[in-house]
Amino acid sequence: MSEMWINMGPQHPMTHGLWNLRVQIDGELILDVDPEMGYLHRGIEKISEDRHYNEVVTLMDRTCYVAGMAWEHLYILGAEQALHLQPPERAEYIRTMSEEFQRIASHIMWYAAFVQDLGLMSPFLYGMRDRDLLLDLFQSYTGARMTYEYMRVGGVRNDLPHGFTDRARKVLDWLIERFQEYDQLCMGSDIFRRRCDGLGVLSARDCIDYGVTGPMLRSAGVARDLRKDRPYSAYDRVDFDVARATTADVTGRYLVRMEEMRQSVRILRQVLDWLDHHPGPVMAENLPRWLGAPYAPIGREGYLLKREYPKGVGFAAIEEPHGEAAVYVVNQGGEHPYRVKFRSPVYVNLSAARKYLVGYHVADIPPIMGSVDVCVGESDR
Amino acid sequence: MTALPAPPVPWPELLGEALVALEPMEGTSGRIRFRSADAERVFRAVHDAGFHHLTMIGGIDWVDHREVIYTLWSDAGKTYLFLSTDLPADHPTVATATRVWPSANWHEREAWEMVDIQFEGHPDLRHLLMPDGYEFHPLLRSFKLHEPEDLEVKVRHV
Repeated sequence: MSEMWINMGPQHPMTHGLWNLRVQIDGELILDVDPEMGYLHRGIEKISEDRHYNEVVTLMDRTCYVAGMAWEHLYILGAEQALHLQPPERAEYIRTMSEEFQRIASHIMWYAAFVQDLGLMSPFLYGMRDRDLLLDLFQSYTGARMTYEYMRVGGVRNDLPHGFTDRARKVLDWLIERFQEYDQLCMGSDIFRRRCDGLGVLSARDCIDYGVTGPMLRSAGVARDLRKDRPYSAYDRVDFDVARATTADVTGRYLVRMEEMRQSVRILRQVLDWLDHHPGPVMAENLPRWLGAPYAPIGREGYLLKREYPKGVGFAAIEEPHGEAAVYVVNQGGEHPYRVKFRSPVYVNLSAARKYLVGYHVADIPPIMGSVDVCVGESDR
Repeated sequence: MTALPAPPVPWPELLGEALVALEPMEGTSGRIRFRSADAERVFRAVHDAGFHHLTMIGGIDWVDHREVIYTLWSDAGKTYLFLSTDLPADHPTVATATRVWPSANWHEREAWEMVDIQFEGHPDLRHLLMPDGYEFHPLLRSFKLHEPEDLEVKVRHV
């Protein structure tokens, strides 16, 4: 027996971010693993206690840099409940649209990075090319490509620009054809299938015990999707199916994400049609001045007003591209949240690493960890 | 967000004396305040009532005392439930939930290093997000930002 611990990370092509996977090996066989986190911990929960409600949105983009809109959406839903505010319907649809665009962008990013880990270079380039179209869309209505700072307590910062929905539909038409090409490149490739089939199996029972959510859980056959089970924003007014697989392995996770992108296109088409026919305000009426960010800029006099706001506790949970994300906002009547607690799906999915890595070989780690879709920004917060 | 119907679970009968209060919470099944001494029994009862998925564990520092909040999800009822317990600031100790929900492991490690809550019986209570040897608990209200701190980070050698 020649057992030893090796470090994969914090600088390793497999990690896709800064974290360290300590692996105990005997030859090629994995005996034990111990993920070491914290390299990207920025104390976002602590900083939030020192920030105005709308200023926390800026931090949310940095929390997960490939799914910024989803995290903005999550935090805003929690903050609105804590502050007893209701956004207008159009804002809800725009948020739903933003989250779905973000889901496709995040999944394409995952696809590109994951397939590159397996040694296939061209899918990476195709993925990045198509993701850029989505970033262009984001830029056209938020002004930024990754750190949007778009959502506000009580609505969204601005309405969509003229002609946006038509541009968005063109992008969707382009993407839906590309998804087919992605599938042909991967599922039709013998090399891909041999490196993915039957690897990293995590049964439905283990997924639930260890809190694993998102595509990993759905690849084990459990159709839990908060967009369906506990609809928020406009998800109760659109039709879509929950993607599922039954193999619980790397290929299953791949198939679930591919199907999710197609379902996102389906949701987006309905949302864009709705937005075409329902103009209206995108910010709630009668907001306190300090909250009406587009009208009274933060940092002006509104910021300095000391007022009493009704206390409250906000809780929100959304189906983020990586899984179930949740937030708990405590409002003690001040201008800053008293405490903000986030649940990051990647954090929990990584904590179960021992369950889906032990027993496989060292060469299997890149495909398995790739299929988890690690975003260290949101895991460490 | 649509409000869900009231929980069909008869919590007072299930939990008995361990139940301190049952508070409603918008869009969820509400919040159960329980006595920290009976934690283990409460976890079991709630788990057996269908709440198999632990979403998160968070600690809050209320200065005079601390609070631990467990967020749970039931696949059958499609609803969230909160458990919360108050702990004295001078002795913030509660039984671990890892025996009931294995996923509590990292959540408790984080709550310990951030809010200084001791989890009795936790299999592996060591630093996770903070470096080894870090002696502060950043999410306590007494930990102020923008102040210099003397910190000697020990490097772990493997």
